Amino acid sequence: MEGLVTQIQGLSGTASDVLSLQNLLKQADDSLHAESTRLPPFLDQLDPSKHSLGYLYFLEACTAGPVTQEQASSFVLTIARFISSCVAEQIRLAPDKFISVCKRFKDQVLLLEEPLRGVAPMLTAIRKLQLSSEHLTALHPEFLLLCLLSKCYKTALSILDEDIFEVDQPRDLFLYCYYGGMISIGQKQFRKALELLHNVVTAPMSTVNAIAVEAFKKYILVSLIHHGQFPTNLPKYASSGAQRNLKTLCQPYVELASSYSNGKIADLETYVEANKDKFESDNNLGLVKQAVSSMYKRNIQRLTQTYLTLSLQDIANRVQLNSPKEAEMHVLQMIKDGEIYATINQKDGMVRFLEDPEQYKTCEMIERIGSSIQRLMTVSKKLNVMDELMSCDPLYLAKAGRERQRFDFDDFDNVPPRYNI
Amino acid sequence: MASSSSSGLTFKLHPLVIVNISDHYTRVKSQMNPPPVTSTSATVNGVEPLQQAPRVYGCVIGVQRGRTVEIFNSFELLYDPSTHSLDRPFLEKKQELYKKVFPHFYILGWYSTGSDAQESDMHIHKALMDINESPLYVLLNPTINPAQKDLPVTIYESELHVIDGIPQLIFVRSSYTIETVEAERISVDHVAHLKPSDGGSAATQLAAHLTGIHSAIKMLNSRIRVLHHHLVGMQKGDVPCENSLLRQVSSLLRRLPAIESEKFQDDFLMEYNDTLLITYLAMFTNCSSTMNELVDKFNTAYDRHSRRGGRTAFI
Repeated sequence: MEGLVTQIQGLSGTASDVLSLQNLLKQADDSLHAESTRLPPFLDQLDPSKHSLGYLYFLEACTAGPVTQEQASSFVLTIARFISSCVAEQIRLAPDKFISVCKRFKDQVLLLEEPLRGVAPMLTAIRKLQLSSEHLTALHPEFLLLCLLSKCYKTALSILDEDIFEVDQPRDLFLYCYYGGMISIGQKQFRKALELLHNVVTAPMSTVNAIAVEAFKKYILVSLIHHGQFPTNLPKYASSGAQRNLKTLCQPYVELASSYSNGKIADLETYVEANKDKFESDNNLGLVKQAVSSMYKRNIQRLTQTYLTLSLQDIANRVQLNSPKEAEMHVLQMIKDGEIYATINQKDGMVRFLEDPEQYKTCEMIERIGSSIQRLMTVSKKLNVMDELMSCDPLYLAKAGRERQRFDFDDFDNVPPRYNI
Repeated sequence: MASSSSSGLTFKLHPLVIVNISDHYTRVKSQMNPPPVTSTSATVNGVEPLQQAPRVYGCVIGVQRGRTVEIFNSFELLYDPSTHSLDRPFLEKKQELYKKVFPHFYILGWYSTGSDAQESDMHIHKALMDINESPLYVLLNPTINPAQKDLPVTIYESELHVIDGIPQLIFVRSSYTIETVEAERISVDHVAHLKPSDGGSAATQLAAHLTGIHSAIKMLNSRIRVLHHHLVGMQKGDVPCENSLLRQVSSLLRRLPAIESEKFQDDFLMEYNDTLLITYLAMFTNCSSTMNELVDKFNTAYDRHSRRGGRTAFI
């Protein structure tokens, strides 16, 4: 054991030394696990910022066994210090060990019921493990879970803003997008929530999994709140399993969506009352209530398409609100949020609906469009690369070749009907 | 080998020949190095990939009218390394077949790939001399040289030159032009558009037009910079003050557009925004179509239940 410690201290200098150290550590891994109880004092001899790889192996072996409450708080401290001071290149050599250490860290933090302590270290851990900001690691969903439990949503938003292009494990993507959706709902950023939940629901899956089912329920509700409608069919890039099965598994929500589209608030409320327990058991009751209140907004928006001016009393009647005062409040809120363009004349209680005042002749608009075009160009390049990769994929070629028509336009050509690789 | 022919013949090469030769070469080359994924076609004795590029051989056929030789088509031949000659019976059979369809075509010569004509090629050349007294040798250089601007195809003729007192046949290079029929032009255009240029020149008219404008603006920018630098120097006193130059600069500036009103700004910005929006829309459409194809391919490859077998509709 001491020999191993000295080797770690000696071989942590250059990159090639670290590689040979890694081989040594891999071989010594089992002996480390066997002596996990004796290891904590050795940790003090190693410096996490210089001997990150060795420290990681020792730490992983220490925390492998079951951990008691007292040990948990000391371990939490050690792991937090390690994460903040370790060297990114060294830990990237043993990513799975790092991930398991961080996961145990999260478990212990939850055991101590102080998720807030885990948020900042987990964020640093993600930054160190990521190869680029477009890379999704297994730590992302853990981090989001800690943010959710500790209710600090703002830190999570910085991570959620980054676009993901590479994923290690599909389960990470599902959990990440689901938790991300929940956090965005908490911050009332419904557009982002819709995007994330949409990703879960349309991600490729050979069989429907529970995360997707829960996400689908929230997806229906958020899409009702944000768009006022729910598209009945999933887009064609959703897996066929999802397309067939998700709707049957979330039946009460689908019916909620269809009664929403009828536009009658009373019906909607009765339906909600009837199925209250189901919604509550899914923890979605808050969302359902928000969906119901968004119904008023939809109806007012529908009015803008028919009328140019309307009195507040009329609005209250049409939207089935109780009084013109409530109608005024709703309209004011919507004008503030930018959902409709209108002016309220307080003297005679009339509301005039206006057109979108954007004239598209400002320099800011030029910059906005210019930046959108740039973004679209990068996405387009990535898509082209993926398309080419897909065209060379042997699975695709096998299936495409098999379905080739037997007779082309110029019949009786000696075109081989099967593509054999 | 001398570098210019003196036979006075004009050669016209059709692009079909070039495409044929390059296709032959590419096929043979890719068949020699099987893709690393497969397990069935792996070579048994673990042969290492061929270091040198394979040489392919074939015949070119066409018409000779007076002093103009027009090469229309080509076909492949097998090279027999033991006898150092091309497969003769096959060549004759092919010749017969082609005669039936194109009675005017003659065997004009042969082709091969490589970077330069070699001594051993003369052997094959002489063997063909009984079909055609003066055969041609078309050589395609398959190494891709991005700096090269013209086609890597050379046509060699054979001439009798006296070297060291011995009359010998050597290869001499001849110039040629590319001649196309409408059908060939369309297909070559199509092939050229399939691969968008990776650093190549502008393929479409729009791109050419825009590059022209871009270089013009770049030049304008650099010249204004030079002037500006000079004027700043004049202001600081580094450069002696030249009144004639200053007069010219001020008259140039007065010729600039004088409209600075708000209405002009509005209209100008609105039109600018319109163009940007159209570009954005075009990019969007392009992107969506790529995404759609990608999704289709993905569904074909990985979604088990989407295709239920059978054939798609006959288009």
